[in-house]
Amino acid sequence: MRRTPDSTNARLIPASISIEWYERPDLTNSMASPEWTRAINTKSSASSDPFSWQAGLLFLLAGGGLTFYFRYEKARMSRARIAEANKGIGKPLVGGPFTLTDHNNEPFTNDNLKGKYSLVYFGFSHCPDICPEELDKMAGMIEAVKEKHGEGVLRNVFITCDPARDTPQVLKSYLAEFHPEVLGLTGTWQQVKDVCKAYRVYFSTPADVKPGQDYLVDHSIYFYLMDPDGDFVEAIGRNFTVPAAAKVINDHIADWKGKIDRS
Amino acid sequence: MSWFTPTSPSSTLANPKASDDGGFIAPDRTARSQCWEGRDSFFVCLEKNGIVDSVKEDAKAREHCAPELKDFEKVCASSWVTYFKKRRVMEHQRDLTIKKLAAEGATPMEGSSAGGAGAAALRGK
Repeated sequence: MRRTPDSTNARLIPASISIEWYERPDLTNSMASPEWTRAINTKSSASSDPFSWQAGLLFLLAGGGLTFYFRYEKARMSRARIAEANKGIGKPLVGGPFTLTDHNNEPFTNDNLKGKYSLVYFGFSHCPDICPEELDKMAGMIEAVKEKHGEGVLRNVFITCDPARDTPQVLKSYLAEFHPEVLGLTGTWQQVKDVCKAYRVYFSTPADVKPGQDYLVDHSIYFYLMDPDGDFVEAIGRNFTVPAAAKVINDHIADWKGKIDRS
Repeated sequence: MSWFTPTSPSSTLANPKASDDGGFIAPDRTARSQCWEGRDSFFVCLEKNGIVDSVKEDAKAREHCAPELKDFEKVCASSWVTYFKKRRVMEHQRDLTIKKLAAEGATPMEGSSAGGAGAAALRGK
């Protein structure tokens, strides 16, 4: 059916254009009826109203979930960056080949550090207060890691900076007082000097110490964390408490994607 | 070692015993704690007499704290005695510096390890 526009509309249309108007009885008037209006109002349920409390709750949950996820990923990425920063081509920042003797008189090289995470501490048994304190902390860290990740994940090594007095037997009895799993390493003066150089540890012991002399040794005080590939991960300083240090180690172990030799 | 004779450590710091394989036996826990106790009682006496640097003011220290000093030197190796005396001075100066900085309005900075994850762990994240 055709219906021509009324005079009011005709004024707005240019003469050159012809428009066809069709009657739409279903759209006229019926929508203005009270029944139709009421239907529209009652149909506004929660899912179509953008400002309902359910929508608000969903928004908060989604936002909170995303925030936690992003924070976790950010922390994980920064740890991964640290762990990866010390890998790569060329000479490592800390660590390297070394040859020493353990406190059971067996040879021990940097290859023996591979397979597990390793915690390396440099010290000497005639240390007045710092090394005993740090070794007690080390024992605490070992137990905290075992609690979280089980046995066999972390290897613990004490390298002496005083090879003249710290022979295997001396180290064995000294370390037994702290934790049975700490392995003492010693060697000749040159071997110890080389491992200190590889680990960037300050080493001040003179080569020609006379037996029975009473002296102290200056050395840097850090725990060095090495990964199962034998690469350096992080250095943990004196200012770390046992829980904080254990958290750093546990997080790195949790991040490790490869295999850890638990034997 | 000194489990059977708790009153006199078998390996006193002042006279280290040689081990069988050419080394020198380190002081064990008991010997260390005896040395620390000797040091502490000596320092208490120094504190009472207002002496900080017992190396420089050695004569004064000997005058006021003779028995404590004698005991200290008996239970500790001489290198440890010197070390503890110097450390006392160092700690005193460090505390003074911290007080001075705090008075100037500095806020304490948390130390961090070599690594961001370490610093984050320190902050408790």
